[in-house]
Amino acid sequence: MKEKPVVVIGAGPAGLAAAYEFICRGISPLILERGGMVGGISRTESYKGYNLDIGGHRFFTKNDEINQLWEKMLGPDFLKVNRLSRIYYKGKFFNYPLRPVNAFFNLGPLESLLVLISYCRARLSPQPEEKSFEEWVINRFGARLYRTFFKTYTEKVWGIPCSEIRADWAAQRIRGLSLLVAVANALFGGQQAKSLIELFSYPKLGPGMMWQRFTEHIVTGGGELMLHSEVSAIRHDHRRITAVEYTNNETRSEVSAEHYISSMPISRLVQLLKPQPPAEVLKSAEELTYRSFIIVVLIIDRQTLFPDQWLYVHSPKVQVGRIQNFKNWSRFMVPDQSKTSIGMEYFCNENDRTWKMADYELVEMASREMELMGFGPASLVVDSYVVRQAKAYPVYDATYKQKLLKIRNYLDDFHNLQTIGRNGMHRYNNMDHSMQTGILAAKNCCGEHHDLWAVNEEKSYLEEDRTVKEAPLVPEKVLIRAFARMDKFAFAVAVGTICGLLVFSATLWIISRGGDVLNSHLRLLGQYFIGYTVTVKGGFIAFGYSFFWGFLFGWLFAYLRNLFLAIYLYRIKRKAELLSLRDFFDNF
Amino acid sequence: MVKFDRKNEALTTEQKLFSGVLLLNAKVVGLAFGIILALGIFVATNWLIIKGGDRVGPHLILLSQYFIGYRVTFVGSLIGAAYGFTLGTICGALMGWIYNKIVAFRQ
Repeated sequence: MKEKPVVVIGAGPAGLAAAYEFICRGISPLILERGGMVGGISRTESYKGYNLDIGGHRFFTKNDEINQLWEKMLGPDFLKVNRLSRIYYKGKFFNYPLRPVNAFFNLGPLESLLVLISYCRARLSPQPEEKSFEEWVINRFGARLYRTFFKTYTEKVWGIPCSEIRADWAAQRIRGLSLLVAVANALFGGQQAKSLIELFSYPKLGPGMMWQRFTEHIVTGGGELMLHSEVSAIRHDHRRITAVEYTNNETRSEVSAEHYISSMPISRLVQLLKPQPPAEVLKSAEELTYRSFIIVVLIIDRQTLFPDQWLYVHSPKVQVGRIQNFKNWSRFMVPDQSKTSIGMEYFCNENDRTWKMADYELVEMASREMELMGFGPASLVVDSYVVRQAKAYPVYDATYKQKLLKIRNYLDDFHNLQTIGRNGMHRYNNMDHSMQTGILAAKNCCGEHHDLWAVNEEKSYLEEDRTVKEAPLVPEKVLIRAFARMDKFAFAVAVGTICGLLVFSATLWIISRGGDVLNSHLRLLGQYFIGYTVTVKGGFIAFGYSFFWGFLFGWLFAYLRNLFLAIYLYRIKRKAELLSLRDFFDNF
Repeated sequence: MVKFDRKNEALTTEQKLFSGVLLLNAKVVGLAFGIILALGIFVATNWLIIKGGDRVGPHLILLSQYFIGYRVTFVGSLIGAAYGFTLGTICGALMGWIYNKIVAFRQ
């Protein structure tokens, strides 16, 4: 039996980040990877020199540590890409977030009018409770816009009706939609937020290039990476993991270590434990579900097809959910610039009808749909390649939380085991979150105490929001003070009183100075204040008039001030909601 | 310039944003008004001086009925600014004070 200080299961972003952290601390880990390459779901496969990003991975983070790590790994090979991704619906390309003029021309005047009516109806009488994703979207965009843009795509991705997507699932995707953050963003961080949304980094040869660099550093630093090494059993004594059994090239081996870090699907981890966990834990593990997808890569004999990095396909006529255009991520992804390689992504469940389709059937379907969408005849497809990605997204169904909690409670008893990454924690961690869990897990092994489950839990989910939320630039209370409502009546009385007092005092002042009072210019006020004279009585009359006009002016000022602030806040909120929804789609 | 009336600490920040009522900082409002009025008189006076003409500031000179010593001259503009600052500060502070009292009374 091998002995190692640390065993890391899985060489995805989380596992590699953990291993790298160990190397930095002078510890040599063993990494067991089931597949033949590093990167996990964010690996880059290659077919005849065409690089394929499995799902499209933008490199974006507000975590400085991760960002510096990325920059350090790739340096000039870390490209900056201007984002373009639109919605394809009924043969038209819609900007996202939706822009009124673009949507109007694409939908046509009649449909636009119907959308507007539906939107107004939703805004005027929203559903009181937002229990599902469907209700959340309808309340904000109206039923017609929801059916047009959101329903089909979401259902393609998840394979379940939007009305059945639970509120907490939707809530996590839209979490952090704080009006205050949006306001701060609009006031102080607009440009930065915009740039972060519109610009992302990307390795020259695809995400796999990043993970390859990590691997090089790890191996050079003394770490050991074993590809094609599938863990077949995890032995324990109920308190500690004692050894991991794995199969490499049909050879079964065992390794023991002080610490174990796993990024394999948490359900699989539980099933591999020997002795077996209690039946209820096993049952929970079995019931955790995942969504998978298939990428049909079509190499097309055309220099350009569309300018977007990816398209969301909301059209119900085709089964494809998203289309990646790899050369628009980085031109180095394609060896022959006269050709274009696209990845037609089909969301499915493992072993369902789509999953089981033969490669040639999938290619036929993808080519047919490409033609149907108007990107050119199927005869343009000169080559193809199919990638099946199982367990791509953990499914947040009605009971996943309880099941996950049961598993977590059980695994917590193992003092030398930590789970990391998206599937290791059954959570929608992005690459940066996954890496963060890996790094923190490694730090925990070195005596620090970090709660891995707090990553991507407390902080705002929205990318643009994180920008401001983490910056101490605008304290919350300052924003609340600045946007508090002005009391119209109080302001009106205050202004009226001051105006009245000013004119009254001016009148008395002129009288008290004596002289030719009747010729004082103040008497000209009589042209507006009927009955006014430069006398004490006139002073009172002027007070009344001035108070009245001052009151009116003050009330109007406060009213308009409140109104414009409310409009401003409303616009910010709507924009934040739209952006949150883009974030929602982006992270599928 | 403003203070927020923290009536209910249990409210969420967003609720506070919508339910809070603005309280004015009377001193700051007074100072702002004072500076604006002082600058207004200073600029208005000097603008007429720069423009020149046969009779400089026949209407602005009427201010001297209230601001003793004021003239449409550069020195007069400084005197007027001082008066303006005083008057503006008093009016602004008084307005802020009245506003706050009414808000407190209404709550």
